[in-house]
Amino acid sequence: MAIRKGPSQIIFNIVSYTLLALMSIICVIPFVMILSGSFTDNHTILTQGYSLLPRDFSVEAYKTVFKAPEDILQAYKMTFFYTGLGTFLGLIMITLTAYVISRKEFKYRNTVSFIIYFTSIFGGGTIPWYLMYSQVLQAKGTTFAIWFPALMSPFLVILMRTFIMGSVPDAITESAKIDGAGHVTIFMRIVMPVLGPGLATIGLFLALGYWNDWYRSSMFSTDSSTWELQFYLYDLLNASTAIKQMSQNSSISTAELPTQSVKLAMAVVSTGPVLLFYPFVQKYFVSGITVGAVKG
Amino acid sequence: MKNGKKLLALLLAGSMTLSLAACGSSAPAESDNASTDTAATETAATDEAATETASTGLDTSERVDLVFYVMGDAPADEAVVEDALNEKLLERFNATVDFQFSTWTDFQQKYSLELTSGGADLIYVANWLNFKQLAKDGAFLELNDLLDNYGQDLKALIGDDQLNACSVNGQIYAIPNCWPEYVSSGIKYREDLRAAYDLPVPDSLENVEAYLSGIKENLPDQGLLTSTTEESTGLQVAFDAAWLLNLKYSSVTTNGLPYGLNALYDSPSDVYDYWFSDDFVEDCKLMKKWADMGFWSRSALSDTNDSEAFTNGLCVMEPQGQNPSKYITSVSTFADAGQGWEAAYIAYGEVNGVIYPGHATQNGTSIVRGSKNPERAMAVLQAFMTDKELNELVQCGIEGTHYTINDEGFYETITDDTGAAAFGYEGFSTWNLRNTEYKLISKNDALLQEIFNKYQALGEKTKFPNIDIYSGFAEDYSGYDAERTAVSNVMRQYLAPLQAGLVSDVDAAVEEFRTKATEAGLEKVREGFKAQWIAYCDEYGYK
Repeated sequence: MAIRKGPSQIIFNIVSYTLLALMSIICVIPFVMILSGSFTDNHTILTQGYSLLPRDFSVEAYKTVFKAPEDILQAYKMTFFYTGLGTFLGLIMITLTAYVISRKEFKYRNTVSFIIYFTSIFGGGTIPWYLMYSQVLQAKGTTFAIWFPALMSPFLVILMRTFIMGSVPDAITESAKIDGAGHVTIFMRIVMPVLGPGLATIGLFLALGYWNDWYRSSMFSTDSSTWELQFYLYDLLNASTAIKQMSQNSSISTAELPTQSVKLAMAVVSTGPVLLFYPFVQKYFVSGITVGAVKG
Repeated sequence: MKNGKKLLALLLAGSMTLSLAACGSSAPAESDNASTDTAATETAATDEAATETASTGLDTSERVDLVFYVMGDAPADEAVVEDALNEKLLERFNATVDFQFSTWTDFQQKYSLELTSGGADLIYVANWLNFKQLAKDGAFLELNDLLDNYGQDLKALIGDDQLNACSVNGQIYAIPNCWPEYVSSGIKYREDLRAAYDLPVPDSLENVEAYLSGIKENLPDQGLLTSTTEESTGLQVAFDAAWLLNLKYSSVTTNGLPYGLNALYDSPSDVYDYWFSDDFVEDCKLMKKWADMGFWSRSALSDTNDSEAFTNGLCVMEPQGQNPSKYITSVSTFADAGQGWEAAYIAYGEVNGVIYPGHATQNGTSIVRGSKNPERAMAVLQAFMTDKELNELVQCGIEGTHYTINDEGFYETITDDTGAAAFGYEGFSTWNLRNTEYKLISKNDALLQEIFNKYQALGEKTKFPNIDIYSGFAEDYSGYDAERTAVSNVMRQYLAPLQAGLVSDVDAAVEEFRTKATEAGLEKVREGFKAQWIAYCDEYGYK
C-alpha cells in the first residue's frame, strides 16, 4: 500500500532536492578551485585570478612538489606512523576506560567519570603542558611527544561510555556473570562484538585528529625528519610569509618561495588520502554519533 | 550517594582553590625564580673567580653541550656543519653547540616558551621579538661581567655605543651583530618606463604625480599602484600610498610617531600633533586628488596585497615596505626575466635627510637566564664573532661543500640539481653573528654595500649621525591597551578611506575621523605614549 504523493509532497521534494544540490555545489566549488588552480600555470593565476577550469593547463606545480620528494614522503611516512599507532593505542585505552566507568558495580565510577570530564573544562594551559613534556618527561624532540598527548580525550571516553551503556544491556552482562564470566570475558566476548560502529566512530575521530595535527610537531619536533605532514606543509607556507615580512626590516637571503600553484598542489597532495578514505567509513561515522547521542 | 556528593563538592572546591592559587602565585613565583637564579649565578660567578685565580681564564675541565636557539628552519646539512664546528669548539673550549630552530610556525609563542622553560643557553634576540620588554622582565642574563671576564675581544669589536643601545637600566643584555645595515624605506619604481617617457624621478610629491600620470597617459592599461591597507596595519598610517608622504616630512621614523603624533628627527622630544593639523587636511586632499586621477583601484581598501605585483608588472611603483635589499632582489629578478625592465630605488631619507642604519637590537645574541654555563656560552659566542674561521663556518658552511668563492671574489652557494642548497647563506639564520670584516659577500651584497656607503655618507650629516632613534624605544601600552585597540579600529574604519582618497567630502570625513578618534580615547593613548617617549629621549639624550 504505497502512500499517495500529493502535490505538496512533490513540491517539497523539488525544493529540498534543489536546496541540497545547491548546498553541495557550494561545498564542492572550493575543492574544484583548488584542484584547477593546482593545474594552472602560476603566471596565469597571478594575472587572471582563479577559475573553475584550468585555463593554462600545466603540471609544473606537481613537478615542483615532487622534485625533491624525500621530504614530503618522509612526512607522509611519519603521519601514517603517528596515525596508525595513535589510533590503535588510543582505541584500546579509550575502550578499556569507557568499559570500566560504564560498569555499575564500580563504586567510584561517578568520581572517576567526573575527574575525566573535569579536564575537558579546566585545562592546565599551554605553558604547564609544554613544561610537562619538555622538562619533566624530557620528551622534546622525540616522536613520543607527538603521538602520546592525543591518545585520549575526555569527549571520546564519555562518548564511548555512553555507547557501551546503550548497546550492551545490563541483563546480558549479568547473565554472563552468572555463567561464570569475568570482566575480561565479558569485555572481549560480549561488549567488543557489538562495539563495531562505536570503534569506527572513535577510530575515525582519532585518526582524523592525528592526520590533521600540526601543533605537536610545531611544539616538540627538533628535527624535520619527525615532522607530521600537515606541519611540513603549514611551515612551508609560514616560512614564505615570515621571510617576506622579515625582509622588510633586514636583508636576509630569501630562498625560492613557493608560488600560488605550488601551494594549491600541496593542498591537494595532503588532503587526497583523507578525501579518498572518508566515504568508506562515513556510514559508521554517522550511525556512531547518533547512537551515542540519542541514548546519552 | 550522599558521600559521593560530598566528595564531589570537596573535589570541586579543592580544584577551584588550586586553580586560583595557581593563577595568583604565578607572578611572584616567577620573580622568586629570577632571584634564586641571580643568586645561583652569583655563587657561580664567585666559584668561577676561585677557579680563575687558579688557572687564569676559562674553566674548561668539564665538557658542556650548549644549545643555541635561533629562528627559522633548519638547513638540510645542519648536522654536517655542527660536527665541523664542534670539532673545533671541543678542542678550544671543551664545548659543543647544538642549534635549535623555532621554525616559522607560531614562532612568537615558541620563543616565549623556550625562554620560560630555559632549555637554551644562547638565543637570538631582536626588537621584533620584544627584546627590550623581555630584558626588563628578566629573561636574559646581565652580560657586563661576563664580557669583562670572557669576552674582552668581543667587547672591543662591538664598541660601547652599540652595547649601550642593547642595555636596559645600565645592564647589557645582548651582543648586537656588527654589520651596519641600512633598511631605509623608500620608493621602488620602473626606471625603464621613466626614461622611455622622459618623466621625472619620483623624489617629491609633485614628481610622483608627474611620473604616475605620465605613465598613465602613455600606457592607459598599465596598473600604477597596487596599494592596499595590508602594509599599513600599524598605528601610524592606514593606507599604503600614504607612505609617499615621507617625501614631505623629516620625521624621526618612517611614517611618523604612532597615534597621529609626529616629531622631527632633529628634535625627537618635541612631539607635535599631525591628525589635528592643517597639513593633515591638505595631505588627505592630495590623496583624494590622486585617487580621482585613478592612481589606485577604487576597491583598494578591500584588495589583498600582492607582493609579486611589481615583479609581474602589475604596478609601476611600490612606496610601501621597501628597502635596499628588496630593491636589489628586484634588479636581479628583472635581469633574469630579460624583458628589458629595470628597477630603481630612492630612499625617503635621500629626500628628507633622515637616514640611519638599523638599530643595534635588530639582530643580537643573549644568554638565557638559567643557562648553566654562561661563561662557556660567552666564550663560544666571542669565538663565533671574532674568529674568522669559525665565523665563516657558522655563517656559510664548509667551503667547497656548501659554497665557493668565484673568480671575482664573490660568495656563491652550491646547489644540487633541483636548485636546493644543503646549507645556504647564513643557513643557521644567525643574522646576529654578522661581522663586517669576515662577512663573505655575494655579488648582490656588493651592490647593497655601495648603496649603504652612499647612505652612510648622508647619515653622517644628520644631527644624530647614523642613529636609529625610534627603534630603540619599547612602548609599554598595558595602561591604555583598550583605548589603543579602539583607536586602531577607528584608523581602519575612518582613516583608511581618507588616506586612500575614497571619500566624497574630505573636510567632513576629516571631522568625522577626528571625532571618532577622540571618542575612542585618543587623548589617553597619546598622553601615555608621550610620557614614555619623552622619558626615553631624555634617558638617551635625544634632545
